[in-house]
Amino acid sequence: MSEAKTMSIKEQNKGAATSLMKKNIRKFLRNKLAVFGLVVVALMTIACVVAFIGGIDFRTPDMANMRAAPNSAHMFGTDTIGRDLLARVLVGGCYSIFIGVFCAVASNVLGAVLGAIAGYFGGKIDALLVRLSELFQAFPQLVLVMMLVAMLKTRGLGNLLLIFVITGWMTTFRMVRNEFMSLKGETYVKVCEAFGMSKSNVMFKQILPNVMTPIIVSTTTNVAYFILQEASLSFIGLGVADSTPTWGNILNAAKNLQVVQNQWWIWVFPGLAISLFVLAINFLGDGLRDVLDAKQQ
Amino acid sequence: MLKYILKKLLMMIPMLLIISFIVYMGLRSTGVDPINFLVSPDVIAANPDNIEALRESLGLNDPLIVQYGRWLGDLLRGNLGYSLDGTPILQTVATRLPYTLELSAYAMLFSAVIGIGIGIISAIRQNGIVDYIGRVLAVLGQAVPQFLVGILLIWIFAIKLGWFPAANRVSPDATNAFVDAFMHLFLPVLTLTIGMVAVLMRYARNTMLDVLNSDYIKTARSKGIPEWKVYLKHGFRNAMKPVLVILMFRIPALIGGSVVIETVFSYPGIGITMTNAITSGDYPVVLVTTLIIAATMLICSFMVDVFNALLDPRVRLDG
Amino acid sequence: MDSKDIILDVENLNTTFISDRKKIRIVKNVSFQLKRGSALAVVGESGCGKSVTMNSIMRFLGRNAIIEADKIQYNALRDGKVTEHRLEQIEKPHGPEMRALRGPEMSMVFQDPMSSLNPVYKVGDQVAEGLLQHNKGMTKAQAREKVLEMFRKLGIPDPEERIDCYPHQFSGGMKQRVVIAIAMICNPELIICDEPTTALDVTIQAQIMELLKEMQVKDGKSIILITHNMGLVAEMADEVCVMYMGRVVEFGSLEDVFDRTSHPYTQALLRSVPVLGLADGQKLETIPGATPNPADLKGGCEFADRCPFCTDACREKDIPMFQLSPGHRVRCLKYQDYPVAEGGEVQGEVAEVQ
Repeated sequence: MSEAKTMSIKEQNKGAATSLMKKNIRKFLRNKLAVFGLVVVALMTIACVVAFIGGIDFRTPDMANMRAAPNSAHMFGTDTIGRDLLARVLVGGCYSIFIGVFCAVASNVLGAVLGAIAGYFGGKIDALLVRLSELFQAFPQLVLVMMLVAMLKTRGLGNLLLIFVITGWMTTFRMVRNEFMSLKGETYVKVCEAFGMSKSNVMFKQILPNVMTPIIVSTTTNVAYFILQEASLSFIGLGVADSTPTWGNILNAAKNLQVVQNQWWIWVFPGLAISLFVLAINFLGDGLRDVLDAKQQ
Repeated sequence: MLKYILKKLLMMIPMLLIISFIVYMGLRSTGVDPINFLVSPDVIAANPDNIEALRESLGLNDPLIVQYGRWLGDLLRGNLGYSLDGTPILQTVATRLPYTLELSAYAMLFSAVIGIGIGIISAIRQNGIVDYIGRVLAVLGQAVPQFLVGILLIWIFAIKLGWFPAANRVSPDATNAFVDAFMHLFLPVLTLTIGMVAVLMRYARNTMLDVLNSDYIKTARSKGIPEWKVYLKHGFRNAMKPVLVILMFRIPALIGGSVVIETVFSYPGIGITMTNAITSGDYPVVLVTTLIIAATMLICSFMVDVFNALLDPRVRLDG
Repeated sequence: MDSKDIILDVENLNTTFISDRKKIRIVKNVSFQLKRGSALAVVGESGCGKSVTMNSIMRFLGRNAIIEADKIQYNALRDGKVTEHRLEQIEKPHGPEMRALRGPEMSMVFQDPMSSLNPVYKVGDQVAEGLLQHNKGMTKAQAREKVLEMFRKLGIPDPEERIDCYPHQFSGGMKQRVVIAIAMICNPELIICDEPTTALDVTIQAQIMELLKEMQVKDGKSIILITHNMGLVAEMADEVCVMYMGRVVEFGSLEDVFDRTSHPYTQALLRSVPVLGLADGQKLETIPGATPNPADLKGGCEFADRCPFCTDACREKDIPMFQLSPGHRVRCLKYQDYPVAEGGEVQGEVAEVQ
């Protein structure tokens, strides 16, 4: 006890923080599924990025080997016009993962900022934002995305990212808003305000850390969500332009029953890649939730 | 109670108006010139005067807001307009909407029964075999893209086993309409159900677990009533409400899913109509299909409120 | 004393929870006897295992709880004949044997009336449910009559109207009366009240306590009252059982415990009771320190860290019970000259399970 007293409060906090961190890491490592998720996500991302940077050839058709089954030259086989599927799955992974991560981060940041504003200030701005989010939520997200695709007419990567971010912020918004609504009445917030702390400081430094855990978890799982969304959209032919090989675009070939029947490798490999990655992300998200959820500690 | 329902019903009208306005303006303001779809570019270049006359006669030169009003008026009179290739949209909707509703309704029904059933059994027999299988299925169901599940099912049941057709809704040579419908609906409904069940099961399980941990379950047990009564009468009844709400909230996902699944199974519903309309820039069809989907969503959220009121005496008596 | 006079006999009850693959003993070697027609108060700070002890006896704990005991014997007395029920031998916690006892023999009033009633059913139906369960062939109309009678007895105004209300239409005190009605409707011999008034305001508290006292004195019911309110104990109890960190530290008659207070913890507990008209400058005492986390406990007396009389011997091994006088037992080494009251206790500590 006497030792603890001589330490400054800051040091104590630091000590407590590192020991909590260690405890969390231990807890995370004990969760085998979460570790599996982390490893798979890391390995797949590294493989895709390395292949992309290494300039692997995913464009040139091998005319002699169209629709070739997996063999030593093409480990995953070739697609309907003879392009190497392994290269396409790797490069497609790069695009898909980028889309997933970018949209998850951006939509969560957007949702968090809007939620903070709505929850903290309340009143008209809150009512307006809530109505807007309800309006967005009244639609199936996919249909909303399709509508925006129809409005933007062109099917580029940039448009897709924009559309996903615009249509993906509502859940985080609601969560952050509700949390802010209840926290802004807390005494510690009132104290900060009484000390004349600036509004943005109170919002983002004092209140926001309380909702960081659910935001981090939802960002993680949203990566999986957006990857699946992109895949569905590209599958029905409304995603990124066909020249960009995302996982969804590669699977687009499986719209053709002939392909489904005769060239299983064309849809099995990219399908496996998506499923495995999404599965791993979900495990990772669940693991993070378990570790970070303050209520369980 | 009646007043409450009426109030909720009336609130749907402005919502629909706002949505229709936004969608109409959104689609029109992006510079889609319907004339380009009606007449080939060479003809436009050759006869600018005739084109102008055509524009005038179609009312395309009026301010957008006037055009919107006219379109809305037509809509209310039951005239949904014409697709750019000249087919009346009403006709398309009338044949295709029932197919989509059929598909979604069956998927909803089966996923509700299966999802809630498994979820509740998992909660009662926590860590039992059903719980374990359920959790594995839920995890897989959320990881595999729905259209891929569809492709897999086609591959197994339609191509390898040949039990079910891989596409369409009606066979030209069908003798028994009911059997025909069953054969064509089975795989798409199964695909949609698998996707829905994953989420529902998880949610039903967690809700039921929460309910089973509540004090009134202990009170029920302290009366010495049999366990099945504790679970069904006291547990299930209370877990029902949040589960039904989530079921309704899943409807957008279900409709979104069915849009994709219709493409997988070449199922002639409203979803594939919309997909094709977007691809070909057929904005009158996009408009109508979007509105139909929005209306469906609003009706569902209205039903959530009604269900809520029916299940919860607190809302029923005071709301 | 034979089984006619003792309604509940508990010997060496141990309850262990499995949490995060660790075993944590929450209730340790609890033994007590409850005399028929008397009121026993179980007191102690929050988290000392009072409720867990009672829930262990009623078998209300979840699957992660392991209940072990040498004896949990309930003696049912009907028409002068005693039937012994060995609760620790009943396998299924919600099987037919246990269910037959819950309601007609032993019942429980829970802490929080707000959440103890099912929100979707009418209160009358909830009270009648137990009655219909245990009286086969009773019609709904007969059950309704009984419920009305019980509501009148418990002082619920306009019972004819109230019986068809839903819980959310009731105030806290009224809800607690309904909860008591549920517990009483099958006319049980033993009623366990788990802090029945903590959630209610003071005037309602007094009314509810009055009701319980009346049932004990007039109808000869046996009552176990879990509370941390010493004032209630003084009013209600014939015997007092003081618990700390899962152990009984002192057990005796009301006079023994209040006037000849022996365990340092009981003394501290009694000093921290606010008394009306506290003299000027006299401060209300608190017990220094906080209750330790049950997972962190080492051997020896659990109270050692907070005890002013603590010696090295206190921390060495578990302390036995010493008998100060017939019926008055204390678990403290200050009294080691007195005879040991019980033997053969299970030694145990926190263990890892794989």
